[in-house]
Amino acid sequence: MSKAARERTARDRLAEERKRQAERHKRLRAIMVTLGAIAVIAVVVVAFVAVQSNRDNTDGYQGPLAPLSRQADGSVVMAKAGVAGPVLEVFEDFQCPACKNFEDVNGDTAKRLAAEGKVKVIYRPFRLFQQEPLKSNSQRAANAAECAPADKWIALHDLIFKNQPAEGSKGFSNKDLIGWGKEAGINDAAFEKCVNQGEKNSVVDQATQYASSAGVQGTPTLNLNGTKLGDDATYTQAGLEKAIQAAASAPAPSATPSATPSKSN
Amino acid sequence: MAIKETMAIEDAAVPDAGGAWTKAQPWITTAGRVGLAGVLGYAGWAKVTEPPALQKLAVSSYQILPDSLVAPVGFGLPILELVLAVLLLLGFGTRFTGAFSGLLMIIFIGGIISVWSRGLSIDCGCFGSGGAVEQGQTRYLQEILRDTGFLALAAWITAFPRSKLALDRLLGLYKD
Repeated sequence: MSKAARERTARDRLAEERKRQAERHKRLRAIMVTLGAIAVIAVVVVAFVAVQSNRDNTDGYQGPLAPLSRQADGSVVMAKAGVAGPVLEVFEDFQCPACKNFEDVNGDTAKRLAAEGKVKVIYRPFRLFQQEPLKSNSQRAANAAECAPADKWIALHDLIFKNQPAEGSKGFSNKDLIGWGKEAGINDAAFEKCVNQGEKNSVVDQATQYASSAGVQGTPTLNLNGTKLGDDATYTQAGLEKAIQAAASAPAPSATPSATPSKSN
Repeated sequence: MAIKETMAIEDAAVPDAGGAWTKAQPWITTAGRVGLAGVLGYAGWAKVTEPPALQKLAVSSYQILPDSLVAPVGFGLPILELVLAVLLLLGFGTRFTGAFSGLLMIIFIGGIISVWSRGLSIDCGCFGSGGAVEQGQTRYLQEILRDTGFLALAAWITAFPRSKLALDRLLGLYKD
């Protein structure tokens, strides 16, 4: 091989080596940028999830409840004596997953605000679902809730939601409902019979008619002094508290602050 | 390694007739980045502005994840979409963010197919407000087709990450 040819191959090799090095650098840059993107995504997402989880905290109210009483139409009132308003009507279906979410987030908030005398809560469970097996699940649960004595009602209500079957599967058997009733402190045979024989089915039907006549189209529907609350008030603790505060300070003719305690329910 | 392989594709460059491809492709990818960023940004924003409880509800209505994962996924997904949207818009790590977005679309499509095949009636919650809907009110086919379109967009970006107005270019990546 001539000297010139040798030099050329050497140059070629050098050029090739440079090219390879450039390739390597490029690859390294691509890796660095990708790692950078991964880092940005990871940090932001993790931080945000932590913040949201914090925001998602529930009230955790464990204190005493405001007195519970059942109205003639089967609905249940939770309010301190003399508290006439603001009135928070809770339309829910025991089988409805969104209602369970509402209860998880704001069930305790409603209890606390009622116990503090800031709101009068009226629970109006009914049967929203039209198709099986949801419909029968809803019906049995609502019937059992109607069968429960008012003072044990909220405990049973909470247990029913806690044990909500997955949507689309059969659940809320009468046996389970009676069991949760016992857990809630309802031990009498009348309750058992009422559940097993669906004695309150007609009351549930009436409640369902009432909900539909009140314009309820989905659950949960929260009406505060007759006005439907939005998602923020329904599903965040701060939102619900703010809405109730606003309703209390608004000049509502029906809501008279209790200067003279009157037995309204 | 995957990166090596994909780099090779990029470097191979598509056979070019007269430079028209070389000229047009980066702009097409830029348009794709903006489009996909718009979709992801809108989807993320619609979800992230909802109360946390509804974000969880949308995820749990698929009945796929165990309870312990519903909250992290419900809270993480919207912000993930938003971050991907920003990165795509900036053109930072274009190939990776494109591929990640595509993977997300595949997961979404898989989730919808799973729900559909199990006979559940839900809204996909793709743009917020997920959860149960009335039977007969589902729109699974439209949702799948829509996501497939977005998947195609993501695939293009991943295959041809060379684009105009991209941060990557400043960093010496995916240049002409």
